[in-house]
Amino acid sequence: MPDRKMFWRIIRRLLSANRGRLFVILLALGAGATITSALLNLQVDAKRRLTTEFRVFGANVMVAPRESGRGVEIETLDEAVFKKIPQVAAGRRVPSVAFLYLIANASSYHSKKAVPAVVAGNAGYGITDILPGNYVEISSSMPHGEPNCILGVKVAAELDVHVNDRLFLEDTGRKEACHVAMIGGYGGPEDNQIFINLDIAQRLAGLPGRISLIQVSVAGTPAEIEGYITELKGDLPDVDVRPIRQFTEGEAKIYNRISGILSATVGLVLLLTALCVMAAMTNVAMERRNDVGLMKAIGGATRRVLRLFLAEAAILGLTGGVLGGAVGILLSMWLGKAVFGVAARPRLIVYPVAVALTIIVAIAGAFPLRRLASIRPAAVFRGEA
Amino acid sequence: MFLRLVADSFSRRPRHKLLTGAALALGMAVATAALSVSLDVGDRLAREFRSLGANLLVTPQADSLPLEIGGVDYRPVNAGAYLPDADLSKLKTIFWHNNIIAFSPVLEVRVTSWTPQYSPASATFVKPAANGDSVLIGAWSNHSVTLPDGRDFLTGLDETNPWWRVDGSWFQDGAGECIVGKAFADRNAVIIGSPLYLATSSSDGLSLRVTGIFTGDGSDDNAVVTSLSIVQQCVGRPGQYRKLYVSALTKPEDDFARRDPATMKPDELERWSCSPYVSSIAYSIKQVLPGSDVRVIRRVAEGEGAILTRVRTLLWLVTFASLLAAALAVGASSAASVIERRTEIGLMKALGAGSGTVGFLLAAEQLLLALVGGAVGYSLGIWLARLVGQRIFGVAPEFSFLVLAVIIGLAAIVTMLGSAIPLRRASRYEPAPILRGE
Repeated sequence: MPDRKMFWRIIRRLLSANRGRLFVILLALGAGATITSALLNLQVDAKRRLTTEFRVFGANVMVAPRESGRGVEIETLDEAVFKKIPQVAAGRRVPSVAFLYLIANASSYHSKKAVPAVVAGNAGYGITDILPGNYVEISSSMPHGEPNCILGVKVAAELDVHVNDRLFLEDTGRKEACHVAMIGGYGGPEDNQIFINLDIAQRLAGLPGRISLIQVSVAGTPAEIEGYITELKGDLPDVDVRPIRQFTEGEAKIYNRISGILSATVGLVLLLTALCVMAAMTNVAMERRNDVGLMKAIGGATRRVLRLFLAEAAILGLTGGVLGGAVGILLSMWLGKAVFGVAARPRLIVYPVAVALTIIVAIAGAFPLRRLASIRPAAVFRGEA
Repeated sequence: MFLRLVADSFSRRPRHKLLTGAALALGMAVATAALSVSLDVGDRLAREFRSLGANLLVTPQADSLPLEIGGVDYRPVNAGAYLPDADLSKLKTIFWHNNIIAFSPVLEVRVTSWTPQYSPASATFVKPAANGDSVLIGAWSNHSVTLPDGRDFLTGLDETNPWWRVDGSWFQDGAGECIVGKAFADRNAVIIGSPLYLATSSSDGLSLRVTGIFTGDGSDDNAVVTSLSIVQQCVGRPGQYRKLYVSALTKPEDDFARRDPATMKPDELERWSCSPYVSSIAYSIKQVLPGSDVRVIRRVAEGEGAILTRVRTLLWLVTFASLLAAALAVGASSAASVIERRTEIGLMKALGAGSGTVGFLLAAEQLLLALVGGAVGYSLGIWLARLVGQRIFGVAPEFSFLVLAVIIGLAAIVTMLGSAIPLRRASRYEPAPILRGE
């Protein structure tokens, strides 16, 4: 079709006629697309990353025996419950640790007499994620044969033990020994506890296969965490599954604030970028008035002329969007690394959105040319319009 | 003549000038909003993080090892050390007293509870089936502390444990009232208004009236909470407490903050104690409370620091992007307005104006526009920032002169830069071809 061939030829000419101008427009559109895609990608990624970041607070869900009316007497759960806790939620590994608490007499070579202390037997994945602390002493050697234990700072000071010392535990005649591998400060009741393997604690307490409670650290938005708890409640009808409200509530509040402020700022910046690019495009389009006049003078129908310029704008938008969008995603990955230490994962949805937005803005910017459709060619040539 | 030319330019094409000014104002509005929000957000979020409750725990230094499981201390009542609560007003005298936003002393004792069996009004108390120990926690609620300078400071458990949800109301200090945990209430069929009779192993019992039922963390849902003075009397430890929770606004810790103050040089120590790091606040609390051991609740404090730092960086990045976008918008529109006036420039030069005069005239026009646009944009931006701040934090950002200075400066620089390139080109124009329309 010769008509279409001509159309594209004119477009090619329009684009290549003025290299400097082409460069400026592409720069404006590309910069807009870069900012758009970088911020969109960073925003989507940052919100997800924040939910992971919140896990520095440690466990946020607790599974404990149901209150049976026996007050605070130590009740236990069957260890089988722990095996039923899902290990993976939303594609991420969920740290979960089972604890068995007992009071045992602890002593070391230095201590003259045994001191009663709380022993926390634990088993599971991610104890450091469940109990964030500050390890003040870490043993470099791990002897074979003897189990390791971690001591809270208070209990270590009370017993006057350091890493690599041996610790003896005794509960109503049952005895165990362990090698002190680490001493940790937690700033809570954990400072007074001795952490050892669950099976040793069970032997010590004479409670094989029993645990006191399970702590779980679930990442996710407030709604996702709530969903996980509801699901777990359904899976484990006989036990008490509850959020650790200090952290779930605090997190929800902070998450909503941060994501709100992020969305608001990103929204403002995107609006501004769109207006900026549109203004630049309008300016460039208005410079075309002589061309419009000429085309009309030699018989171009208004619609066709308009279509020509809108097509030009769309092509520019597409090019600028494709280039700028890619740069923006790379930029956001780098920015993600700067902020969170981990490169932001590119979201594929962001790219087409950024390209589409750029094209829309480019066409919207060229739209004032419509007004030129009403101009009379003669007036343009006289230099009046 | 100069002023007349400028005035003429504005009155001749008001619509065009309005458009350029509007672009400028819009850009500056967004920049103002982003800047004031992110300047304010650090403080706001730090306060928001206090919804996680206390970040410092004070215990007696000479204490024996607490045998605490699930929030219950299994030590005998008389074991361990105590701290005097008369010292507590000194907390608000430390260098960082404004950063201490709440504190509450706690004294716990294991008790046996009797609850009325039939109706709240009935006076018959029934001993529970099991020798149902529960924990009686003595604390403050909305307690007024008289500071050394004569002012009163209201604080209590309601502020150090903000996640506690209380149905009914908190107990009044020293009024024989208490709140009970949800699990306790369910088990003993206690409702708001019930009387409650509690006995410890060592002393006579006391009767309290339930004013509220609270949901806490789970481990404390079995407890009865009443005012500190009642528990002190019951335990026979008047004026003493065992644990103190402190909630303080802090600055995220960096490597410098984690160093041991004992190894610092004098100037470093001064810098360290003049930054509200959680560790330096802990250090100064320890100095005003003799015999105490102040520990940082790591899970709260470190998480807070990590997240605050990241969010702050993130917001600065977005703010920077918005400043960049604003600069681009303003620069582009002022460049366009200069390009459009080529004919006029040509005419002026043809009439004998030098490049300098033309440039000066156009620059003056642009600056005037920047000033007006910047001012309008600034007020619009402040309004936007208030809107955002109000919606998200419930509090509008505070006014900051820094923002005003930055915005006016930015508007001027950006318009000048935006017009500088086309102006330079304009000064090279030969008048004749322009006037011919080429």
